[in-house]
Amino acid sequence: MTASLNTPVQEPVKAVSRVELAFTRLKKIPSAYIAFWVVCLICLLAILSALGVPLSPYSFDQATDDLLVAPSLNHIMGTDELGRDLFARVIYGSRLSIAIGFVTAGVAFILGTTYGAISGYCGGKVDTLLMRGVDIAYSLPDLLVMILVGVLVGKGTFGILFALGLVSWMGTARLVRAQLLQLKEEEFIEAARAAGQDGFSIVMKHLLPNAMGPIIVALTFTVPSAILSESTLSFIGLGLSAPECSWGTLASDGWRSLRSYPHLLGFPSLFIFLTVLSFNCLGDGLRDVLDPRTRLFKG
Amino acid sequence: MLALLIKRMLTAIPVLLVVATLTFFLMRLVPGGPFDADKNLPPAIVANLNAKYQLDKPVAQQYVTYLSRVVRGDLGISYKYLNRTVRDILGEAMPVSLQLGFTALVLAILIGVPLGTIAAVNRGSWIDVTAMFLSTAGISVPGFVIGAFLIFIFGVWLKVLPVALWETPWHMVLPSLTLAFSPAAYLARLTRASVLEVLEKDWVRTARSKGLSRWATVIKHTLRNALVPVVTVLGPLTAILITGSFVVEYLYAIPGMGRFFVTAVTNRDYDLIMGTTLVFAALLIVTNAIVDVAYQILDPRMKVEG
Repeated sequence: MTASLNTPVQEPVKAVSRVELAFTRLKKIPSAYIAFWVVCLICLLAILSALGVPLSPYSFDQATDDLLVAPSLNHIMGTDELGRDLFARVIYGSRLSIAIGFVTAGVAFILGTTYGAISGYCGGKVDTLLMRGVDIAYSLPDLLVMILVGVLVGKGTFGILFALGLVSWMGTARLVRAQLLQLKEEEFIEAARAAGQDGFSIVMKHLLPNAMGPIIVALTFTVPSAILSESTLSFIGLGLSAPECSWGTLASDGWRSLRSYPHLLGFPSLFIFLTVLSFNCLGDGLRDVLDPRTRLFKG
Repeated sequence: MLALLIKRMLTAIPVLLVVATLTFFLMRLVPGGPFDADKNLPPAIVANLNAKYQLDKPVAQQYVTYLSRVVRGDLGISYKYLNRTVRDILGEAMPVSLQLGFTALVLAILIGVPLGTIAAVNRGSWIDVTAMFLSTAGISVPGFVIGAFLIFIFGVWLKVLPVALWETPWHMVLPSLTLAFSPAAYLARLTRASVLEVLEKDWVRTARSKGLSRWATVIKHTLRNALVPVVTVLGPLTAILITGSFVVEYLYAIPGMGRFFVTAVTNRDYDLIMGTTLVFAALLIVTNAIVDVAYQILDPRMKVEG
């Protein structure tokens, strides 16, 4: 007792927000930290390109006299059969590919969270019914559903977004439901209910904020899988096609001349790979950092 | 065990019905019919064709007719491949796809499980880091990039392997490898996590303290338990393989179900789309039923709710 009186008054510990804390932890995982900055860089490229900032000496649809040249100092990624600079096109394509990834994640977040929250909070028969529906849809291969639905809505950007959104929310719904089923048994929920809060505000104020970690992790994996799905669909000719320009359509165009001009497939593929890899590494890191079910550090 | 299997098969019927219904109405909602793309047919001929295939009837009536035909085992005829029934086409395409899928599955297990195990046993070492980087990279590469890469190296550059069609065993090498790539990476990640968990169990420590060597412990006491979750992903794995088959069969021009599905969708070949989708769904249901049964055999503590 007396000893504590003599010790100098401790500085109050600075409050660290959850985001700051997560970021500090993320820094300790090198692969995730590098991936974080690569993701930022690629998103920045996409945003700048969408704002019309000229990032390359040529514009994406400018035909030059150099047809199908291999990568050189003049055209660092070469040109296509109309003499268009591939670097300019890949940068231009990034905005569609990245946008598709993020919009899909947004749709998955809104639809999946709502559906999962209703199912998890209500429980009982509602839960059984809602989840059986998800089980059936979930058991079909995504691409099968996307092809069928994508054809229905049309081949444009909206069609592919609709198809991607339709298959991507189910994982989030399952996750949110599982989290809520677990969380709603906690004592602080009982306390909130005793204090007279209604179901909606309990879900919004107490249940969802506590489930945010795993949700963010799941959404981080939704972005790359949407980018992969878009490029795959476009590649087999059932997704976007010219005049739309995404990494998928560029790769699809490049496939036809693989034998003679491998750079046309190579560079768009490289960008798809780097982006998806970065998102996956970031997701792995975030899972270690945010998901309470995995142990943070060894020991 | 048998009761569970029968129960699973019975629940398959409503699922297949839901799938059939959804697909049927989705397809009819799609603008455009099977004869639109044909070289500017006169309207009278299109009308005749529609009448011949009963496409002029109300959709609800077509639906009932279709279901009653399917129940009797008649999957209809293709509108694009002249004089061929959907059954004929699927009868030829299915063995090809199953062969491709099964080879890829075996390859994926042979690559993925050892890779994951080695990574887990050497946790934190450079072997682990490399193996995990490879498998994260593996799930990040689109299938068509792997395929194009393999075609370029072995077909165009080295000219040692055929890059299209499905004839000799040599034709199977590149497609199977392409299809196996992403499931192998997926399995490696899963096996690593699962083995890591089991390695911390008490019985593993006991086995080690008895004086068993490290690898004997891993093979005899760890892997058997660690492989239970790996077996359960066989369902999702089949889904991955089906998805992959769309791309791989397109890339290598293989006459399998994936390619017929993709072309059927483009052609609005209604009955062929329906037939392929139903076969895919049935394939998944059967795999999942087998997994449930295998799960109980492997781990008698698990009581799967039917």
